[in-house]
Amino acid sequence: MGMQKELQAAIKAILPEVDCVIGWGSGPDPLHGAPLFMRSEDDANRFASGFFAVNNPALFLPEYKGKKVAVVVKGCDARSVGQLLSEGLIKREEVSLIGFPCQGVVDHDKVAAALGEKGEMGEVTAVLEEGDALVLTLRGETVRLNKADVTAEKCMRCQYPNAHIADTFVGEKREPVATADDFADLAVFEAMSLEERQAFWEKEMSRCIRCYACRNACPLCVCRDHCVATSRDPSWLTQADSVKDKLFFQVIHATHLAGRCTGCGECQRACPVGIPVLLLKRSLARSVEKLFAYRAGIDEGTPPLLTFTLEEPTIKERSW
Amino acid sequence: MRIGVFICHCGSNIGGTVDCKSVAEESYAFPDVVFSTDTMYACSEPGQQGIIDAIKEHNLSGVVVASCTPRMHEPTFRRAVERAGLNRYMFEMANIREHVSWIGKNKDANTNKAAELVRMAVSKLRLNRDLHSKSFPVTKRVLVIGGGVAGIQAALDCADAGLDVVLVEREPSIGGKMSKLDKTFPTVDCSSCILGPRMVDVAQHPNITLYAAAEVESVSGYVGNFEVTVRKKATYVDWDKCTGCGLCTEKCPSKKSFDRFNEGVGPTTAIIIPFPQAIPKKASITRDACRQFTKGKCGVCAKICPTGAINYEQQDELVSMKVGGIVAATGYDLMDWTVYEEYGAGRYPDVITSLQYERLLSASGPTGGHVKRPSDGKEPKNVVFIQCVGSRDVSIGRPYCSGFCCMYTAKQAILTKDHIPDSQSFVFYMDIRSPGKGYDEFTRRVQEEYGAQYIRGRVSLIYPKGDKLIVRGVDTLMGGQQVDVEADLVVLAVGGEATQGSPQLAEKLRISYDSYGFFMEGHPKLKPVETNTAGVFLAGSCQGLKDIPSSVAQGSAAAAKAIGLLSKDMLASDPQIAQVDMKRCVGCGKCIQVCPFKAIKEVDVRGQIKAEVIETVCQGCGLCNATCPQGAVQLSHFTDNQILAEVEALCRF
Repeated sequence: MGMQKELQAAIKAILPEVDCVIGWGSGPDPLHGAPLFMRSEDDANRFASGFFAVNNPALFLPEYKGKKVAVVVKGCDARSVGQLLSEGLIKREEVSLIGFPCQGVVDHDKVAAALGEKGEMGEVTAVLEEGDALVLTLRGETVRLNKADVTAEKCMRCQYPNAHIADTFVGEKREPVATADDFADLAVFEAMSLEERQAFWEKEMSRCIRCYACRNACPLCVCRDHCVATSRDPSWLTQADSVKDKLFFQVIHATHLAGRCTGCGECQRACPVGIPVLLLKRSLARSVEKLFAYRAGIDEGTPPLLTFTLEEPTIKERSW
Repeated sequence: MRIGVFICHCGSNIGGTVDCKSVAEESYAFPDVVFSTDTMYACSEPGQQGIIDAIKEHNLSGVVVASCTPRMHEPTFRRAVERAGLNRYMFEMANIREHVSWIGKNKDANTNKAAELVRMAVSKLRLNRDLHSKSFPVTKRVLVIGGGVAGIQAALDCADAGLDVVLVEREPSIGGKMSKLDKTFPTVDCSSCILGPRMVDVAQHPNITLYAAAEVESVSGYVGNFEVTVRKKATYVDWDKCTGCGLCTEKCPSKKSFDRFNEGVGPTTAIIIPFPQAIPKKASITRDACRQFTKGKCGVCAKICPTGAINYEQQDELVSMKVGGIVAATGYDLMDWTVYEEYGAGRYPDVITSLQYERLLSASGPTGGHVKRPSDGKEPKNVVFIQCVGSRDVSIGRPYCSGFCCMYTAKQAILTKDHIPDSQSFVFYMDIRSPGKGYDEFTRRVQEEYGAQYIRGRVSLIYPKGDKLIVRGVDTLMGGQQVDVEADLVVLAVGGEATQGSPQLAEKLRISYDSYGFFMEGHPKLKPVETNTAGVFLAGSCQGLKDIPSSVAQGSAAAAKAIGLLSKDMLASDPQIAQVDMKRCVGCGKCIQVCPFKAIKEVDVRGQIKAEVIETVCQGCGLCNATCPQGAVQLSHFTDNQILAEVEALCRF
């Protein structure tokens, strides 16, 4: 727990300078962390980092525009902050970042699947981390899970575990898990025929309940309650319970995030019915990286689709 | 809403492959359509009257005309519905000619598609709203870009009409290509004698501000009120002090500088006045050649200058101005003929371009008007002219005819005989193109009176033999016989291309250009000097290569258009612009970032950041509309709902 104490110390150190420090605390059950908004030393004592600190605290930053806040960030969270900064949605001087070497976070869907018939996640009464293993107590029994088996996919391909922008960095920087994104998940999807892909999305989207949790969890969605999906003027989507409209929203969300999405995966994590909506965003991210040589949240400068240039330096349209 | 639909036959243009009658009948089934008919020529006087009568008789509140492209007749029909008392924007056009009848022969498929396009137009029209133009004042000043003969003509005509004119020239002197010419066809009168006085007029006209050695840096704004920034390039000579005495050019120790004005025929000094008649007659320093800049010490010109005009510290200067109209007259350059291996690709000094030959012929040129060949300074006796070098040659991607080469080659052959009476000229040609007043007579004269030998055929090889060049060609009128001509000098009639930087300028001006960089006119026949950007006009070779009479005519034509535009005190703005719904706007600023016209600004509305469109600057391109994630920015007349209605109409099944 050395890291946690060090982070708490860093939080306490910055508290007097800011209105609030955003980080994580314990959640409704031992398997879940939750965002924590710290304004006092007591709050800071409740800070909990680690395997269950899954939420992306960058989500809350635009709401604090005009106030000074500090935020504890994983590598992926720092990318979201970077993107918010480059779009001018938050101001650098209003945000202080506390970084640390992230060791990866849990994927609850994987935990649920690993538990299988042994019980529900909500029945877990205690969790202990023992090296590479998680020891869960439920229904009076202990269940050992291999941490690697229940780690989020994004962590398995993580290139930026250390916050690339941080005003304070706690701990030693760790080696990235991967040196490049091979988009293996897209390759699996793209191995399917067009008909199969259509069928895939129709099946997946049929579960959608249009709760828009994916949208509300997205740190880069600027519209929130002004969403074009729920607007009647302009009327882009009908209120019909059709796969067409559900998929249409995902396409809108994905295109709005083209060149902006940092792949934090909060949309997919927030989905209560487990639709792999991150696939769409990753496909566009790959295209943008290829076309404009731009990685959202990492590369500086105006995002390529948020500017008007006569000639893109990376696209050779002309040759005089 | 009560909608009337008019399906135009356009004679047989549409009627030939579309069953217009059945499209009209089918249109009755579309929502809100209360009247539908087919008409032979909707744009004709009776056609328009038919629309007006129908509006009155059937109490129509909106009209769809299915005919040609809106580029052609949308303004016509808008005026017609306005005459009938409707707002001009309660009109939609379905393009069933360019998009249907001209591109397919299957009548059933065409008829079906035409009906679908009408259905889309009807669906959009149902959501149209009355729109009203606002009026704004114009700036009565014209920017002329390029001080060649076309630009000079345009500038003088505009200035004489009482407009302020700003003339921007890239080179240190105006005059353009014409100032490099010795004589002009078909009268063989001295080029600088007829151009020189015009150049002086420019310098002395009270309404003309001349920026030589300057380029257009940026253009923003819109018709009537363009904001232009001009970069005055550093000449390292204070032109306010320079008297043009030329002492500096005599004493400059760096005498090996490339002579741009003389096309590299002989070297020049690092500090130059390009030619004796230069306007403005001011010195400028070529930085790359100047010892003060390359070696860090010299300063001879600074010491010698009687007025102390030399300033090695001079920097580029940006000048901003507002203008109401712009005339682009940027002219042409010769293409790079060294792509031709058969002509030696630039290896033989005695193979020169036509423009270099002009400088050899000119009394103010480096040889004082004595024709001396570059290699050894000897007077050539046999001069071979090769036509169509870089013109009408698909193999190097230049299929077009440069238009003026046949004539200037004939002129140069005449001048050769005048300069060297015992010389013989040979002209290899493809066709002689001389369609102008007195032109064909001229090309006959050169052959009949001046004895130039015209050989119809291409040249396949030039190779050196002793101090001569052997030009090997074919005479297609002698049964394809091979011809070898021993030449002392070879003059290539090099074709023109759009001047360097044309595409970049076009993009600054937001006008179109073709694949060769020539600027696109609004319509090849009916709008030869207008562009598709309101307030920007074209003159001279930048629009397509042309000779001096045509360039001058176009200069005057462009001036007439600019004068016409600025004769009004107020212009009407296009109401098809973006609007921000303040309630929906979340102030994310993405629209501001993508706007190419800087037409959106951030405003503070009760403590919240919102976007606001500057109405007179917005061009209605719709980028902000497409970028706004929450649909708060809507383009009037092309709202999301209108586009969606069209899509819905098309994707009903």
